Amino acid sequence: MNRRSLIALTLTAPLFWGQSLASTAEAQQRLRTAVDEVLAVADRVSSRSALATTVRPVLQRHISFETMTRRAVGPGWKQFTPDQQKKATQLFTTLIIRSYSSKFTPGERPSINYQAAVSPAAGRVDVPTGLVYKGSRYNVTYRMEQEGGSWKIADVVIEGVSLIANYRTQLDSTFKKGGADAVITSLEQSVSRPS
Amino acid sequence: MKPGLITLRLLLMGILPVLTNCASSQKTAPSTSPTTASAPAVKTEDAVDELDDYSSTEVSDPLEKLNRATFQLNDGLYNFVFRPVSKGYVFVTPKPVRQGLDNFFDNVKFPVRFVNCGLQGKFNRAGLEFQKFGINTIGGLAGFIRLSDKIPSLVAVPSEDTGQTLAKWGLGHGPYLVLPVLGPSSFRETLGYGGDYALNPIHWGFLLKGDTNTWAWIPSTVNTIRSLPGQLMNYDESRKNSVDPYLSVRSIYIQNRNSAAQE
Repeated sequence: MNRRSLIALTLTAPLFWGQSLASTAEAQQRLRTAVDEVLAVADRVSSRSALATTVRPVLQRHISFETMTRRAVGPGWKQFTPDQQKKATQLFTTLIIRSYSSKFTPGERPSINYQAAVSPAAGRVDVPTGLVYKGSRYNVTYRMEQEGGSWKIADVVIEGVSLIANYRTQLDSTFKKGGADAVITSLEQSVSRPS
Repeated sequence: MKPGLITLRLLLMGILPVLTNCASSQKTAPSTSPTTASAPAVKTEDAVDELDDYSSTEVSDPLEKLNRATFQLNDGLYNFVFRPVSKGYVFVTPKPVRQGLDNFFDNVKFPVRFVNCGLQGKFNRAGLEFQKFGINTIGGLAGFIRLSDKIPSLVAVPSEDTGQTLAKWGLGHGPYLVLPVLGPSSFRETLGYGGDYALNPIHWGFLLKGDTNTWAWIPSTVNTIRSLPGQLMNYDESRKNSVDPYLSVRSIYIQNRNSAAQE
């Protein structure tokens, strides 16, 4: 590295540092807003099935379901037609919302302790939290990513288990066996199965 | 045979591969989970976008056919034997008693956590475990009450076990394995399970006497029954909303163990 670029780097480093600090705080704030909005909805409803329908628009505002579906499907995604991609995203969204709301018991409020967020890459911030729900303690990390100027949730990691990694294993294997159609059929089956 | 001997033998078995493979032991550290920033395990051509660092294969599974068969067998066993037992237990035992028993058996398991903290060189954590054990045993009526939860530094001490020690020492998972009755595991974790079994005082009566005609089977049976509701809940949670239950359980198990090993 020549001297000039070294100087340039040294001078601009604080800029990047400051920028990443600001974005970390912004992402964390965005997550808090999302969690508070979801909890406010959860307080109003009295059943799990009601939560799934009421919370859908709120979650769609804060969760990047397109990114989630693309990554859950994996390398096969490029071979999906735009229609198939749309269909898969719809089904996967329903599945995620359902699996989210099935963990919820009306009347029980979780307590969430936000810990220091880290930014492992530009445009990505991980917010670790300690969640206490129904007397049990869980480590939950939210992966936030910048999308079209705002921060959205791109993955939820509970006790080290990433939701997206879990589906990636399953859907990639399904794709390798039967292509895009098999992925959509298996998602349809999962959605229609009673939870 | 004395439990100490068994543990020692198991641990030696665990050390061997490390000793013979000293130079590369650093590299065989547990594979990176998607949450960690360092070197993603995913091949670049498999990535669907710039920030995609997910891998579709978290563990090698050359025995998949056999594993799937065992998985089916276990599923039947859980649903038709364990679930009724678990329901019966929940029905006849009030919640505070169940919570007390869970606390008690968790407290008794102290040597598993303490020894493995030591083996991983986590002496600070070993000290916390020791404090927890003392407080819960003396103040918490032999461990039935988790008094230590009132002390912030003792609320969330990550619990160590032999599988995590083997991981820390550089041993990889080896092939994925579904054990009859016990469920998901790997070669390493099975070895670790043996270590945990020997270190858990509830099995010492068994290990010392070696026969089933005495009282020795009582603690481990009670422990198994009291753990059923929680275990079945986790199992159901892993299967629910899955596309392929076998792969879902495998992924959840391996991710969870990798993250526990890193803590």
